[in-house]
Amino acid sequence: MKTLSAKIKKNPYYVMWFKDAWPYITGAVLLSVFQIATLASTGNPWGVSAVFANWGAWLYELVGGSVDKWYYFASEGAQATLERGFLQDPGTMRNLGIIAGALFATLAASGFKFKKIKSWRQVLAAVLGGLLMGYGARIGFGCNIGALFSGIASFSLSGWVYAVFLFLGAVVGSKLLVKFFM
Amino acid sequence: MKEVELDCMGEACPVPLIKAEKEMAKLDIGDVLIVQIDHSCAMKNVPEWARKEGHNVEIEEVDDGEWEVIIEKVK
Repeated sequence: MKTLSAKIKKNPYYVMWFKDAWPYITGAVLLSVFQIATLASTGNPWGVSAVFANWGAWLYELVGGSVDKWYYFASEGAQATLERGFLQDPGTMRNLGIIAGALFATLAASGFKFKKIKSWRQVLAAVLGGLLMGYGARIGFGCNIGALFSGIASFSLSGWVYAVFLFLGAVVGSKLLVKFFM
Repeated sequence: MKEVELDCMGEACPVPLIKAEKEMAKLDIGDVLIVQIDHSCAMKNVPEWARKEGHNVEIEEVDDGEWEVIIEKVK
């Protein structure tokens, strides 16, 4: 058994496909191909964070709440998605697929590890960052996938505006990072 | 010929890279910097940066999801 796993680990195809990171260009081409497949099969371009808002709504409904009167979920499309439910939502399947796929990739590269939390500062930054990203993505109608990648791919000017401010935000974020985490 | 270890376990990008850059600036030619990481993105950008700077780089897989990037300062 040990010799077999040692053999697999040395196999050049295993190393190329599972162990080493793929080149950026491979990733770019695959993302584009799957973006087209997503648009063709679901009628909507790829988005990630809108799905999380729906998950929130379903969780809220699960404990007896109702989002029927919420402005964000007021459109017919949003209501229809919520009514179809968790298991009938292409976006939900895709997000679960991303998590499962990422897990598979780390396991296949034998790179899986439970990581230590280094400091409370890290926890605070993660929670704050997550809240800001989630709030920003919803108020701006998209994250870097829905608004940036899908936006630019659909020749929407808003995607480019997003790109400019994403860059500015990243500059400010990097400065803060160096200030508080170095 | 010094050998310096830099503990970047549990640190996410781009912290390991910035720490490695700062630490490298303090070293003399011939010294070795060992960056300990458990973040797979850092596995790409730390060696990439060091090779671009012209240093000798070796990567050692210490454990599942743990690596040491060994950088020898050559200039």
